[in-house]
This record gives sequence, C-alpha cells and structure tokens, in this order.
Amino acid sequence: MNYLIVGASSGLGRDLAYTLSKDANNLTLISRDIRDLNVIKSDIESLYQTKVNTYSVDLASTTSVVTFLNNKEIEFSLLDGVLFPIGMMSDKDFITGLNDNAEKINNANFLSIVKFVEKITPIFKKKNNGLIIGFSSVASSLGRNKNIIYSASKRALNSYFESLLATFKNNNINIQFYILGYLDTNLAFDEKLILPKASTKQLAFKVFKNMKKNNIKKFYPKWWGLISYCISLIPFFAIKKLFNFIK
Amino acid sequence: MFKKKITSLDKSTSVEILIKRPDKYREIENFSLQADNLITMGGCNSYTPASFKKDKLSLLFSKFDRIINFDKSNKTITVEAGIKLSDLLNFTLKHQLWLPQIPGYPSVTLGGAIATNTHGKSSDTHGTIKNQIKSISIFHKTHGWMNLSSDINKEIFDLTIGGFGLTGTIVSVELKLIEILGYDFTTKIEKVSSAKDAVKKICSRDLSNIFSYSWNKTSNKKNFGEGLIFNNKFNDNKKNLKIDKMYFKDSNIHNHFFLNLWNKYSIKLLQNVYYNYFNIYKKEIINDNFKKVMFPYSGKETYFHMYGRKGFIESQILVPLSKIDIFLDELGYLMDAYEPEIVLFSIKKIIGEELFLRFENTGICFTFDFSKKDKNLNFLDKLDVLCIKHKLKPSIVKDSRLNSNTVQNCYNGFENFRKTLLDFDNKKIYRSELSDRIGI
Repeated sequence: MNYLIVGASSGLGRDLAYTLSKDANNLTLISRDIRDLNVIKSDIESLYQTKVNTYSVDLASTTSVVTFLNNKEIEFSLLDGVLFPIGMMSDKDFITGLNDNAEKINNANFLSIVKFVEKITPIFKKKNNGLIIGFSSVASSLGRNKNIIYSASKRALNSYFESLLATFKNNNINIQFYILGYLDTNLAFDEKLILPKASTKQLAFKVFKNMKKNNIKKFYPKWWGLISYCISLIPFFAIKKLFNFIK
Repeated sequence: MFKKKITSLDKSTSVEILIKRPDKYREIENFSLQADNLITMGGCNSYTPASFKKDKLSLLFSKFDRIINFDKSNKTITVEAGIKLSDLLNFTLKHQLWLPQIPGYPSVTLGGAIATNTHGKSSDTHGTIKNQIKSISIFHKTHGWMNLSSDINKEIFDLTIGGFGLTGTIVSVELKLIEILGYDFTTKIEKVSSAKDAVKKICSRDLSNIFSYSWNKTSNKKNFGEGLIFNNKFNDNKKNLKIDKMYFKDSNIHNHFFLNLWNKYSIKLLQNVYYNYFNIYKKEIINDNFKKVMFPYSGKETYFHMYGRKGFIESQILVPLSKIDIFLDELGYLMDAYEPEIVLFSIKKIIGEELFLRFENTGICFTFDFSKKDKNLNFLDKLDVLCIKHKLKPSIVKDSRLNSNTVQNCYNGFENFRKTLLDFDNKKIYRSELSDRIGI
C-alpha cells in the first residue's frame, strides 16, 4: 500500500511513518524542512527496506501547497491513503500578536488539508477506494486567549471532516477523524499541563490498527471525549470561569 | 521555557535547569541561537553533571536517533548522535558489525560516548571510541554547522572527542564499524591474590580475550585486591549465530533508597558472597550472552540505589605502566592510614595516547566506588594528592569532586584544551556544571 503523510517530520507524523513502514507500506512524506524528511527516509529505508519519497512543502503557504499538488512527477493515483497529522502553533497566536500569522496558522491547520482533499478525492472516487485520516485537537472544543487561530482552525477542521464523513458515508472512501488531547510532542514538551500527555507512538499504533474500520471519529486519549462532552453541556457563564485554566 | 530539577547520577549536584527537546533540525538552530549558554543532553547517564548547568539551557537530544547512511561493504554508518548505543548495536549486529567501545549501560547515547571519549571494556584491544570515528557534524551557536574530521577542521575534531560537549552540539557521526565474530561469549574466571597480581595477569592476558577486567575485594586488608579476573572471548562453538534484538526496560538508574546501605559490614558480606559465588558455585569457564557481557549494569540498578539519597563517588585513575608499583604501594599506605570503605574495586588496561582532557593513555585503569562518608572523602583528597604527585589521570567525567587544580596538574593537555577552546568560542557559550567546576 502507498500512503501520503502530510506533516511527517516530527511528533505523530514521524511515528506514523515508522508504524506504517514496519507493515511494509511505501510512503510519501511531506513537511517544510527536507533535512528532517531525508533523515527519516534513510532511517526507514535502512530499518524496514520500504520505499520512501520526500518532498519539501510549506503547509503554511497556499502557493507551496498548490505547486506540490500540481507537480506532475508525483503519482497521486498510486496512493491508497492520506494522513494529515499536522499541527502548527505559534507563540504569537493571540489577539494583538498575530500580524500575518493568522493566515499561516489557518493554512497549515486547515486550508492546506482542504486543498489536499480536493486533489485526492476525485482520484479515490475513480478508484472507488481510499483512506483519509485527519487529526484535530481538543483545543477546538473551546475558545481561549492563547492559540486562538489554532483552536479556530481546528474547529473548522472538525466541521470539515464531519462534512467529509457525511459526504462519503455510503462510499468506499473511508474517512477517519481523531480529536487529540495532550500529546507528548514538542508543542507540549515545555508546557506544564494539568492532565498527562499521551504517547505519539501508541497513538500511531492505534491509528494503524483502526485503518480497516469504516468512517470513525474518535478522541485520544478516550477520556477527552467525556471532557469535551461535559464542556459542551456547560452554560457559557460557567465557561467564562474555565478560561483561567485553559492554555 | 520549561524548568526542571535535575540530579546527576552520583547525586553530587541537584539544580533547576531549562530544558528543550528539539526534534527538527531548524529547532536545533533556533533553540541554540536563542540561548546565552547551553549544553547538549543525551541519556543523562553521566555520573557527573556534564549535561546541564543551573538556570541554563540543556538541549535534550533524544529525538535525534536515526540512521543517516549505512554502507555495509565499507563497514561505515552515519547516525544521529542521540541514538542509544543499544539501539545502534541492535541495527549493526544484524549485519555482523559492531562498535566495541561500549560503556556498561544501554541508554548511553553515541553523542555522550563521544563527548567523554568512552573506553568501554575492550579498551586494551580496541582503545577508545575515538578510533571508530571518521567524521562528526556539529552545530555551534556562532560557527553554525561544521563538519569535522582528521582532514577538515582537525583541531576542533580533536577537541570535540572527549570535549564534554563544549564545542557545540554533536548532531551526527560517521563511524567505522568492526566485523563481529559471534554473538556469544565464553567467560573464563581467574583468581587473583592481590591487586598487583591482578595487574600482572591482565597485562599478560591471552590476546584472544577481547575483554579482560577484574573485580577485587577491598575488605581484606592483608590481601587487598584479592579477587577475580573476567576474561571474555567469542564463543568458538557458536560463531555466526543469529542475534536476537536486545530489549531493555525503561531506566530506573536514577532512583535511590532512602538510606545508604553500604557500610563496612555490608561491603564485607556482599563481597564475600559475590567472590564465593564465582569461586565455589560457578565453573571456571561459563557461557555468557552478548547483552549480559556488554551491559553488565543493566538490571543491576539496585547497586546504585543502595547508596541512598546522598549518592556515591566513583574515582577512576589511569596509571602509566611504569608507575604501577609505586602507585599500588602508596595506595596501600593510604588504605591503612584512612581505612576507606571501598564498595567496588576494579582493574582493566587501556591503550591510547594523551591529548587534551581525554582519559586516555597506555596504562592501567583503577576504579573505586565509595559512599559519601567523611573518611572516604578524606581518603579521596589524599588520592588526588597522589595523582598530582605522580601525574596520574583521574577521570573527569566520573568524579564530581575533582577541582580545577587537580585536573590542571594531572592533565598535560589542560592548558592546550582551554586555550584552543577559548580561541574557538571566546564567549564560552557551551558550558556545564562540570566545565565550570574544572575551570574551562
């Protein structure tokens, strides 16, 4: 099988690349910095003898994404699945600090994924087969005073993937969507968080095991589902009190 | 930025540090450029505080653990420096190749081994890890990316090997690998009547033994150093068998019991039990597997825990062959005078040449472990005087007590190291508790 991983240089994307390679899948990896991808490529090829292609794409830039998607050398028709383990945060992501960062954060977390899905769904429709996996964040459950565009774009992604699930519910295109709590990635490494961070390796394995399941939406770790549900039930006057605790 | 309290393995230093864990190349650059001072942290298994400094940044390098290039025909491999040596071996052994200079604990990283110029157990056969290094790639805050080898930037290459991470972050390394003859060992156990006898037997060892080291008792004053020599060689009957992947539990080496359980009674009891176990119950020649021989401390972390919350001191001294007799005579005198409680005493031979602050020369390496009691500390102070007097090398990366004066007087290359490093980095950007303590 051939998979495209969008945002593969670190964190969950990197662990997904290793997990899928162990199962003898060929990979196309994209990320901003080709140096990281090339090291992952050589490591995976040394360890598992699978084929890995790498491309440098700045997912925060629409131009870079469109140029990649129009690259005629890339055989999108060979792909069996696309995974989007991408998340971009910025320490300038607050109301008065944004400047031109809002567009970049929104592109990386939402619009670039939309562009990829636009490109790939006609191919999957033609093949009558395909897998699309998206990853959102529990940050999408609630507004906040920090990471505002990040949480907004993840909320947009939730809605977009729900729409994909609705669109392809009676189709062989398999849509899977994960809403992630705190993960042990660099985004969270130097944050003091009130709840524990989950392992990206374990999540990658879970995603791999679920790949045969049809049209799923899951929280990881599971208990974040309960927290999100509770938040949705709380009236807004009480939510305002919660803002003091949310990062 | 994330602040974390961190304690050296020997419990000599406990401080709050800033810590970042890069996992992309641009993050190595960005984090380094943002910091005034920093140092790189591998497995944080050094006995001494070599990978951190109070209130300064440590770059945790655990995510840089990948294979960049492997050339089986030329027996070379290029890997990122954060790779654990056990993981590196798990890969190379599948191809009948290995790196013999392996310290006793599996979670030591390649970068850490290079920054300390580790000598492993086969130091008499293969010398230090320096002998396997073809080239190194580092990132330095002011010099940027640099390739180092014996042809390019030779001076910084030499400074980096055994340079305690002070020349920048060791990012990747090209290694020359060695063909391995088999994955199982036979261990021949020889009895020795004293430390002098152990030195004599180790120096005249059978060269087919790739590892030769002793374990010596310290509780018997009359026969100080009576003990056993372990000689490991590849098992002729089991050559070229397949090796199973080595698995290790998560390290708990930094844990400790509340109290120090090592005292003269427990030392005497446990040394006698250990000695008699091999002397009476074990055969003279036993079969050992690769994992057990290479990583003898793995699974035996209780040894460290028993030192309690105050921790331990390891003194490792490299004595040139010409000074062995006088060293052992004077050591005997100090033992009688100060009656230290030595928990572990071991002897092995090292081959190599002196340069800068490397713990390397041709001679005998004596290792002593102590609990932190006044009489042991007094004895160690006298041992420092002995080192200065005879120009013996105490290991900087093992002994947290060593001060600048002792190091300056024992290492001929001290001034040269300090000056060359200062010429390269006059702002002393890369520094640790260790480097500050010894005055570089």
